[in-house]
Amino acid sequence: MLHKNTYLNTIFSVAIAFLVGVVLILAIGQNPIEVYGELFKGAFKGSLNFGGTLEKFVPIFITAIAFYIASVVKLFNVGVEGQMYLGAVVSAWVGFSFVNLPGPLHMLLCFVCAIVVGGAWALISGILAVRLNVNEICTTILLNYVAILITSYLVNGPLSAKTGISTTPNVADSVILPWFMSPSRANTGLFIAIGIFVLFAWILSRTTFGYKLRSIGSNKEFSNYIGMKSDRLILTGMFLSGGIAAIAGAIQVLGVHHAFLNGFSSEIGFYGMLAALISKGNFKMLPVMSFLLALLRNGALNMQRFTGIEASLVDIIITVFILIASMDWILVLFRERKKVRVQ
Amino acid sequence: MDIFSNIFSYSIIHATIRMATPILLASIAVIITQKAGVLNVGIEGIMTMGAFTAIVVSSQTGSWLAAVLAAIAVGVFVACIISVAHLKFKADVFAVGMTINIFAISLSIFLLNSMFGIRGSFRPEDLAPLPKLTIPFLQSNEVLNSIFNNYGLLEIGAIVMVFGLRFFLNRTSGGLRLKSVGLNEMAAETAGIHIDRTKFMALVFSGVIGGLAGAHLSLGYANFFISSMVSGRGFMGIAAMFFSGGNPVISWLACLLFGFIDSTGSRLQAYGVPSEFVMMLPYITTIVVLSVSMWLRKRKSLLLASSVKTTGTHQLEDQKG
Repeated sequence: MLHKNTYLNTIFSVAIAFLVGVVLILAIGQNPIEVYGELFKGAFKGSLNFGGTLEKFVPIFITAIAFYIASVVKLFNVGVEGQMYLGAVVSAWVGFSFVNLPGPLHMLLCFVCAIVVGGAWALISGILAVRLNVNEICTTILLNYVAILITSYLVNGPLSAKTGISTTPNVADSVILPWFMSPSRANTGLFIAIGIFVLFAWILSRTTFGYKLRSIGSNKEFSNYIGMKSDRLILTGMFLSGGIAAIAGAIQVLGVHHAFLNGFSSEIGFYGMLAALISKGNFKMLPVMSFLLALLRNGALNMQRFTGIEASLVDIIITVFILIASMDWILVLFRERKKVRVQ
Repeated sequence: MDIFSNIFSYSIIHATIRMATPILLASIAVIITQKAGVLNVGIEGIMTMGAFTAIVVSSQTGSWLAAVLAAIAVGVFVACIISVAHLKFKADVFAVGMTINIFAISLSIFLLNSMFGIRGSFRPEDLAPLPKLTIPFLQSNEVLNSIFNNYGLLEIGAIVMVFGLRFFLNRTSGGLRLKSVGLNEMAAETAGIHIDRTKFMALVFSGVIGGLAGAHLSLGYANFFISSMVSGRGFMGIAAMFFSGGNPVISWLACLLFGFIDSTGSRLQAYGVPSEFVMMLPYITTIVVLSVSMWLRKRKSLLLASSVKTTGTHQLEDQKG
């Protein structure tokens, strides 16, 4: 019943959000059908557009998984954006520095370093939350700003390619994740994302470790009582969350830009987080929601190119959609009807 | 020594208060909702919308009063969206708040472009900023003039609000009811308090303050608008709230500390410290201050717990911040 509700809720939310979009488009004097047509053409038509959607899907999807893992142990890791930035800058540094290593090892090193740094960054908030009860929403958000400023300092100072724009030198060819749908920038990072998703679906539902994480999330005191080391497990969950977010950053560097660009993200981490939030604890919904957000965002960019309508219009539609999707419409409407019947 | 006296001259008092005010207003807004048991992370979005409305109305009508009223109205409207989603439709208030923050930024970008054809920063020429308060007889002395004069309306107003809120929370029946909802919802309901109505009123009130905070940002603190101008001040207000455990006066002190670090940092920039590190300072200070205060609080409660030989850990859980 619950799952059925989620799907109905999603369809309902999409419909309402698009209606709001129609009103907005009419308000600025454009034809809604045409605009939406351009939007979907921009998201699906041809390998360039569809590849763009896949390219945008990967980081949103991975950060959504990252946020989800932390939420399993009841921590809100709002810092996925910052952890992604750090992962990106670290993998870029490894990618252009250790060029003498053999290709596969080098690539592995890129990811491992990114995971360690991103995970450690998430651990700061995790440790503060577990040991001192410091609210992790606050610390992760504030650490986001710090992380982004650190990367911005690095890319303008020590790691700069000195070409006048804020970027690092390009990474070695051997660590680049190949594009498979040229001319778009969709890259093999997609398969890494799917791999992470399958791995964690398995870990959470089929392993002792996953069971422990879920158990702590649902009742920490009970889990402590039966002998789980809950603090350590919560920190492990937070580390994994940060590490996964960092993988998203590494894929953006190794697969999309091939260097670290200052401010490359445009709130990918936040959209990932929101995709996880509107999935409402349903792991299987993560790819659906992430894909929906990715197709809207990519469609929006292409629409802007062809119709001259601001892409921020679509950001508005997306946020309205998320707002509505976060509500429990079906539950409330259902309950109201029941109430009437009882009276 | 010269650098030191340049940075810490008397003029830093004014700079500190100037920097602290937006954080303080945000902090007041979240204290009210936190007392009713709602963590209003949407405060940043409310402030963004307030700032945008204020600067548009101010530049169109030329009246700061109309601008402030419009900012309050919009703040309340956004707060109403949050409350309807959270209270009526049972949405997670954190999800709604974060969405509102992104929504506000996108909406302001969209409106700036479709109304004025502007991207980036909006600097209208005929702007009516918030009035500044001056006491004429202090103007003759340079030091007194710097310390006591030229404060924006809301820089003084925020301090008044701190004590007003303190009075409301501790000395009025409305404030006590509000706190009882946050402390124990079920007990409050048994005592005949409307939970949802109280939370709604708290959110609306935080919309009012959030709108004011936005108006102060675009018409008092700066005389322009960019969509990212709130940049974490709302969350620093939330941190100040957690730091103080919801006490407005202590929260004000925390905001002053953040403001002090902020203004010290911007002076350090003149001495070659990279701007990124200067911009990091307030965020890092906030985290450090919050952690230290929570550490002290934990130590205190552990001491208390050991002295009465109860576990006391669940009391700690309640004070999570």
